[in-house]
Amino acid sequence: MNDAEFVRMMASIILASSPLIIAVCGETITERAGVVNLSLDGTMLMAAMTGFVMGLKTENVWLGFLAGAIVGAVFGAIVAYGSISLGKSQVAVGFVLTLLGDDLSAFLGQNFTRIPGQVVKHLGIPLLKDIPIIGPIFFNQDMVVYFSYILIIVTWWFISRTQPGLHLRSSGERPEAAFARGVNVRRVRYLYTMLGGALVGIAGAAYSLDVKIGWSEGATRGLGWIALAIVIFGGWSPVRGALGAILFGATKAVATILQRTFPEISVVAFNAIPWVLMLAVLFVVGSDVTERLIEFMPKRLQPPLRRMLRITAPLALGSSIAEE
Amino acid sequence: MKPSVIKNPRMDRLYNLLMPLLAALAALAVGAVMLLLLGVDPVVAYSALLEGAFGSKNALADTLVKATPLLLVGVGICIAFRGGVVNIGGEGQLVVGAVASTLVGLSFPEASGWVVIPLALLAGFLAGAIWGGIPGVLKAYFNVNEILSTIMMNQIAVQGMNFLLRGPMIDPVQLQAASRIPQTARLSRLFDLPRLVPTRLHLGTALAVLVAILVFILLWRTIIGYRIRAVGLNPHASRYAGIHVQRYLVLALLLSGALGGLAGAVQVYGVHHRMFTDGSATGFTGSAGFNGIVAALFGQLHPLGTIPAAFLFGALLVGANAMQRAVQVPSALITALNGLLVVFVVSTDLWRRRLQHKQLSETLREEISQVKEVKATP
Repeated sequence: MNDAEFVRMMASIILASSPLIIAVCGETITERAGVVNLSLDGTMLMAAMTGFVMGLKTENVWLGFLAGAIVGAVFGAIVAYGSISLGKSQVAVGFVLTLLGDDLSAFLGQNFTRIPGQVVKHLGIPLLKDIPIIGPIFFNQDMVVYFSYILIIVTWWFISRTQPGLHLRSSGERPEAAFARGVNVRRVRYLYTMLGGALVGIAGAAYSLDVKIGWSEGATRGLGWIALAIVIFGGWSPVRGALGAILFGATKAVATILQRTFPEISVVAFNAIPWVLMLAVLFVVGSDVTERLIEFMPKRLQPPLRRMLRITAPLALGSSIAEE
Repeated sequence: MKPSVIKNPRMDRLYNLLMPLLAALAALAVGAVMLLLLGVDPVVAYSALLEGAFGSKNALADTLVKATPLLLVGVGICIAFRGGVVNIGGEGQLVVGAVASTLVGLSFPEASGWVVIPLALLAGFLAGAIWGGIPGVLKAYFNVNEILSTIMMNQIAVQGMNFLLRGPMIDPVQLQAASRIPQTARLSRLFDLPRLVPTRLHLGTALAVLVAILVFILLWRTIIGYRIRAVGLNPHASRYAGIHVQRYLVLALLLSGALGGLAGAVQVYGVHHRMFTDGSATGFTGSAGFNGIVAALFGQLHPLGTIPAAFLFGALLVGANAMQRAVQVPSALITALNGLLVVFVVSTDLWRRRLQHKQLSETLREEISQVKEVKATP
């Protein structure tokens, strides 16, 4: 592989990861507030379909994204209503919505499969895109990719450096304490489930309008689950989650290259690689093995390593809040 | 005092029965609007649906056959959910169970059905147990979220199935043909599960009902089941009570997966008599691994409640196909209708619980005020 090919591959990895990054940031926000929105896979399918059709009908790609965001927010609102107001298991509500989103998108989008539609325009950033290697990889992309960069930073900043972010985290860690301090936990959870859902919707639309252009039944099936896994891999941090998304994109790219290099090995082996890898990663970050390995390291390195590798879920994740 | 549902067990049971039916009716009403929009007479369409699901002996048999894997998977889901773990890996467990049982049938083509069928069902059961047990071990001892790991196990199972059916297990006849349809050879007719009446109805359906009853006994009449449920209700309290929490977490997922695998084996020996793939899991399973979860939720996560729930879903699936043939509606409408039904069923359940909650708090409030009155009057 020569340099130009490498740069092209890296650029395509960044592009392919950007919707995942957006979805991961959205779900991270939701889960940090204490709600698991399990409907990601269905939400993304519905949003991809709606966004594509909206873009096609209005001939405006951004209205497509808006439609996707609205769909995502509605799905988020249903999860919030089911889990917060009705006290039903978040997992059950989210799972049912996953199935519904899959079915409904297939039904509503049946007349729009495999037709050309609106596409996000390529937009290199002047000056930055001329930096050797880094420029063409990161700054010769389109608005969706730039949005994902900004989103990583804004999400991180919002969650860990602002007052509303503190309320968000407290609702996910110690809802009772947050309530005692005057935080309206229910409202906070509603708000961020819908906001996170809207971002997931944007991610869905980013597939049909940018990364996997067009709509067909089940176009983004499976990616929602990947996003959910990456949120955990990222330890509920948007920055680590984004790295996870890029890592996932990279393994897929590497699998494709390996497949070309070793055509005698079955395609399915390579198709299975990302999934096995994800499982292995969840295993590594969750188990005591990592902790034991860290203890072998020099004392000074231990705390940062632990911060990098270990994960702890928001304490009240998935719990319902006691009636005030 | 006002008569309330919660105070009257018989009324409450009636409610439990009626609510899912109401939900189904609501979903069908929305479906009727969709049909009208498509320019189809809903009365014609729905009578085709009913006719297709219950209209004849064959139709009824088809409904029961369709309900069988839903019931097996659903009963497994009951175990997992009661044990406090979520198993979304039904699809994968079905697939590995089917593959393992097919391997048994292909390995002993000359043996007697009396030997091969039980062996094959056992193989499916064990393969499913392994496929469910892995996420169980990962959850219990390595803190890996079981929702995600079961989903990943689904994907891995599908890739494994595609590999086996395109290569080592492919029908030798297909190997000669140019198209190479990825399927195994037909299993010996001696291995077909016995038919109960001269229809497509096979022994697997009776087996599934038996399993549901056994699981009910396991969960509510044995110590193991009691411990599984205790861990599901409160793991911390269970640990204090001396229950080995991790072991029972693994057991719940393992049993749940095993029933999924058994469902796969039953599908192979009762319905398809071979294994095939279209590249995805749904090609073989018909989404039974997912619909089984819905049937379990519909049946209030109770093995016996899952029996009618699975039957209803089987009827809907079979009837919807008949409806599609009769009035030429797009197949996507059927899946949408299915999704709607699920949402309605789950939401009425929510509504019912809320009602109960409200009535409970009302009753409590009344009782408290009565106590106060008693105290107030010296």
